[in-house]
Amino acid sequence: MQLAKWPCALALIAMLLVPGRTTQAQVAELDTSHTVFYEAPTRTHMFVYTPSVDVQAGPWPWLEVRAGWEADVVSGASVSTKFGPVYHASHPADVVSTASVHDLRNMGGGEFTFKGDTTSLTGGYDYSTENDYQSHSLHVNARTDALQHNTQFALSYGRNFDRVCDRVQTETDPTRFTALETSTGCFTEDATRMTHPIGIDTFEASWAQSWTPIVETQLTYTAQLVDGFQSDPYRSIVLGEAVKAQEHEPNERARQAVTARLAVYLRGIKGALRFSLRGYSDTWAVRSGTAEAEFEKSLGDSLRLMVRGRFYKQSGAVFWSDDYTGGDPPLGPRGQYWTADRELSPFWSWLAGLRLAWTIEPARGRILGLLESFKLVGSASVTSFSYDEYTLGGTPVSDARAYVATASLVAGF
Amino acid sequence: MIRVLALVAFVASTGCVTVAPQQRAILADPTMQFDAEARHEAALRHAIDNREGSMGGTGVAGGGCGCN
Repeated sequence: MQLAKWPCALALIAMLLVPGRTTQAQVAELDTSHTVFYEAPTRTHMFVYTPSVDVQAGPWPWLEVRAGWEADVVSGASVSTKFGPVYHASHPADVVSTASVHDLRNMGGGEFTFKGDTTSLTGGYDYSTENDYQSHSLHVNARTDALQHNTQFALSYGRNFDRVCDRVQTETDPTRFTALETSTGCFTEDATRMTHPIGIDTFEASWAQSWTPIVETQLTYTAQLVDGFQSDPYRSIVLGEAVKAQEHEPNERARQAVTARLAVYLRGIKGALRFSLRGYSDTWAVRSGTAEAEFEKSLGDSLRLMVRGRFYKQSGAVFWSDDYTGGDPPLGPRGQYWTADRELSPFWSWLAGLRLAWTIEPARGRILGLLESFKLVGSASVTSFSYDEYTLGGTPVSDARAYVATASLVAGF
Repeated sequence: MIRVLALVAFVASTGCVTVAPQQRAILADPTMQFDAEARHEAALRHAIDNREGSMGGTGVAGGGCGCN
């Protein structure tokens, strides 16, 4: 919990970075957000509280410095041993087991942005730690404007050096691997614990274009290579009679996505429509499509209201099966890998939400003699998942609905 | 893919759709920004990413899993 002191430290750093500036221009910004996530589908539930604090300062016109802290406070219950309908038919007394989850993720980091008239270069670092996972993440971003700011190109690259905790396996055959029972002893000298490295390389290129005074588009290509242990170390899957093994997913995964976005301003109602389409594929044979629409309208000078809808559909991974013990397709074994990850099963989902932003930027003077600007943002979303094949021992998952609410406060100094 | 990118670069470089600076007021409006509240939306995006088998289009920075 030592990282919990970061917000105070960040505010102090920001103040130190901006000595001697006049009170005429905003030179620092404090942004704090608080998010709650809740879901309770069949037999499991999850509650996550995510507070975050960001401090951004511009000590000189050519430099911007940002530092931030974020946490996830997690409690709930997740599936620990899974089997499907075929196994359950022959073992009706067995039930899919769950285990309670309590975790705390802390993430702290910062970035520098060097700005020119039409270009900017950003570099940053984030460190995060939780009971069973540690991450060092570096990222760089280069951005340039062209054609009187009508065209923007951006290139980004991020590299994660992560480690995930696991138990020391005494067997060499993955079908005999035992799942990690608890995170106790992780990242210590405990002889029963070990860590797996995970390297994540992410590359993104984007092109944004203003076509008319009311139409803008953005095209983004994202590619990611993940190399390392990607299974849930806590989860077991029943593979056959008296055979239960830790989840076993491939170590390599290459992922790519193309996202196209369009924003159109509707003068008659003083609002903007934004559309987004994304196509995704990876080497685990997951294919997905996402369509998203947002409408945002100004209500007077200081209020903005946004409503959104989102539809998502994906296929399952090539090694996904709801029951690895057998049965008619699509059930049955899938070669050398097995997973109980519902995110790797075929499903579709929808999301609906709204967001309200209230901004005060006085034309002269400061708010309470201190703030150059002040913004409150609140949003709420509900998303529902419909699983085509994923069951818990043949019982379909119902109430797979998640609620997410966020409140933010942004103050400019 | 290379052909598409080449076409995109050509169209952009022609400048035939340039919006004059004095016409950019609406484009600068917060309602026209794709990521106007990016930090506010970050937690929602993180939750969605962990409930789906996909990613992409939202930047490269990150840290940790938080994927229970």
